[in-house]
Amino acid sequence: MALPILEGERLTMRFGGLVAMAEVSFELARGEILGIIGPNGAGKSTLFNIISGLYVPSSGEVRLEGQRLNGVPAHTIVKRGVARTFQSSRLFGDLSVLDNVIIGRHTHTHCGVFDAIFRHSRAKEELKQAAVHSERLLRTVSRNLFEQRHRPAAELPQADRRRLEIARALASEPKVLMLDEPSSGMDDADTDALMDDIRAVCAERPDLSLMIVEHDMRLVAALPHRVMVLDYGQKLADGPFEEVRRIPRVQEAYLGRRGAASHAEG
Amino acid sequence: MITNLSVASRKAYRPLTTVALVVATETVGAVFLRQFLLAEDWRLVVTLLAIFAAALVAFERRPHLEGAIASGFRTHRRFATLLGVVLVALFPFALEKNTYALHLCVVSQLYAVLALALNFQLGSANIPNFATGASYGIGAYVSALLALNFDVSFWIALPAAAIVATAFGFLLGIPSMRTRDSYLALVTIAFGVVINQLLNTLDFTGGPNGLVGIPAPEIFGHSFASPLVVLGYELPPQANFYYLSAMLVLVAILFADRLHNSRVGLAWNALRADELAARCQGINTTWYKVLAFAVDAFLAGFAGTIYAFYVGFISPENFTFLVSVTIMTMVIAGGMDNILGVLVGAVLLTLLPEKLRAFSDYRILFFGVTVIGFLLIRPQGIFPKRLRRYEV
Repeated sequence: MALPILEGERLTMRFGGLVAMAEVSFELARGEILGIIGPNGAGKSTLFNIISGLYVPSSGEVRLEGQRLNGVPAHTIVKRGVARTFQSSRLFGDLSVLDNVIIGRHTHTHCGVFDAIFRHSRAKEELKQAAVHSERLLRTVSRNLFEQRHRPAAELPQADRRRLEIARALASEPKVLMLDEPSSGMDDADTDALMDDIRAVCAERPDLSLMIVEHDMRLVAALPHRVMVLDYGQKLADGPFEEVRRIPRVQEAYLGRRGAASHAEG
Repeated sequence: MITNLSVASRKAYRPLTTVALVVATETVGAVFLRQFLLAEDWRLVVTLLAIFAAALVAFERRPHLEGAIASGFRTHRRFATLLGVVLVALFPFALEKNTYALHLCVVSQLYAVLALALNFQLGSANIPNFATGASYGIGAYVSALLALNFDVSFWIALPAAAIVATAFGFLLGIPSMRTRDSYLALVTIAFGVVINQLLNTLDFTGGPNGLVGIPAPEIFGHSFASPLVVLGYELPPQANFYYLSAMLVLVAILFADRLHNSRVGLAWNALRADELAARCQGINTTWYKVLAFAVDAFLAGFAGTIYAFYVGFISPENFTFLVSVTIMTMVIAGGMDNILGVLVGAVLLTLLPEKLRAFSDYRILFFGVTVIGFLLIRPQGIFPKRLRRYEV
């Protein structure tokens, strides 16, 4: 197997006395979709926060293409190629949909204060290019979103907000994209449409690796190549969804001890 | 919704009509300002304020009216700018050699620059900086000290003071990054107070007596203390400073406009909306916050220099905490992150207390009531922020 694009080694995260994550190791291959499931408080979001540089792990190491990410500031990690969305969507609500995506291109644009004021035409041209690129990206992610590009992001319906977060994250041209509960707050029809959009995004970028934290088992069964189960900050299982779901400890974590027992009997 | 509006208005109005709209808006604005500046009788002042309030109510009730004007200015940007410059240039001639009105114009313009400076922080990036008054003071003192002790001319003191003020801006910005929100506000308040206390106690700043006898600037042998003669028409000496500060306002608008419509402005807006999300888009939030401090201090330093050379006498009480609060009110009441709004806010809040002198002891009360009244009509400020557009 080729070198994994992203790997975590014995990642541990302590907040005072609380251990939010204990010795979790994982690997993500190029072009792979990894699902991450687990009950609330299992450490799924903690894992994303560690990878994206918002938390520095108490011990263990994250490596992107073999390079250590621990302690690298969050904004630099984006530049290296890891982008993410948030569980509760965190759009720039008072800016237009298009501006949200253009901001996503921050790491691919370079003009600073000096350029903006004294080399105005250069700065303007760069921003225009970013706008053209962002419009194209919006159109490929969702036609519907593209039509609404001049609306403030806060006015979008829930499903479109999720799509916009994905588009914004894709604007940085990441190698690894982390989606934190992309389908939360969506009905079945919206979730189906979202899955189609994600498939289309992946089809267009065969090298893009995805990590998806998700509660909707329909999505978890359909999209990821492999599923990792977390519980109480520990890794319970890792493998194809069909195998993972049969493991008693996984059922226990999800359904509770008694539920799992009755499930096994029935 | 905004898109639909402007598209509709673009269809509904022909080019000639939109040009007329631009001309009408700017002329009405200039005439209104002239009448307000020259109004002596309090009844006239109140009537003019009522007309202004009525216009705001009309804008609030009929958004397409505002949309039509805004799109007119957008399509005829060059023409609107040119007309604006001409109106500003001709304005002193319409003031009947009234030195007090001209003085108010100069002060309004300096406050306009200060408000635009603070707008980079408060409006664009939502950083509550209460130290703009201190940067203003640093600019004024540095240039005054250079002029008094080393005979440095105004034109050299101007950039020098701005550079020193910027350095202090960085100095304030860096420790401020360890805090945020209310705590950040406290750090900036402390900075302002410390600067004020230093100016009050240090020997070389003249202590509470300040600095006296700052010489008027000169250009090509023409002293700014002497009247300005244009084609045989004599304008009072204040007119020199009127044009000087008008140039500075122009530079500040240029800065503000270019930064707003750039990658930097977008990054600041991202910071304002959601700092964590901004970091996760690759924005170095610390750096951009410090930058906002530096740009604010830079412009405030310029304004301080012009003020020092204009009045010729500065003391610590010109640069107190209250000055910073006033500038902040201008930005909030005018409209955060909207250049026009901030300008209108600055002019209005500079003139209001002067024009309400008829109410003597109650004037601050009336000042407060008026500001609250405008905010009730337009909660987002007189001219709220607008979405960016791109010519793609």
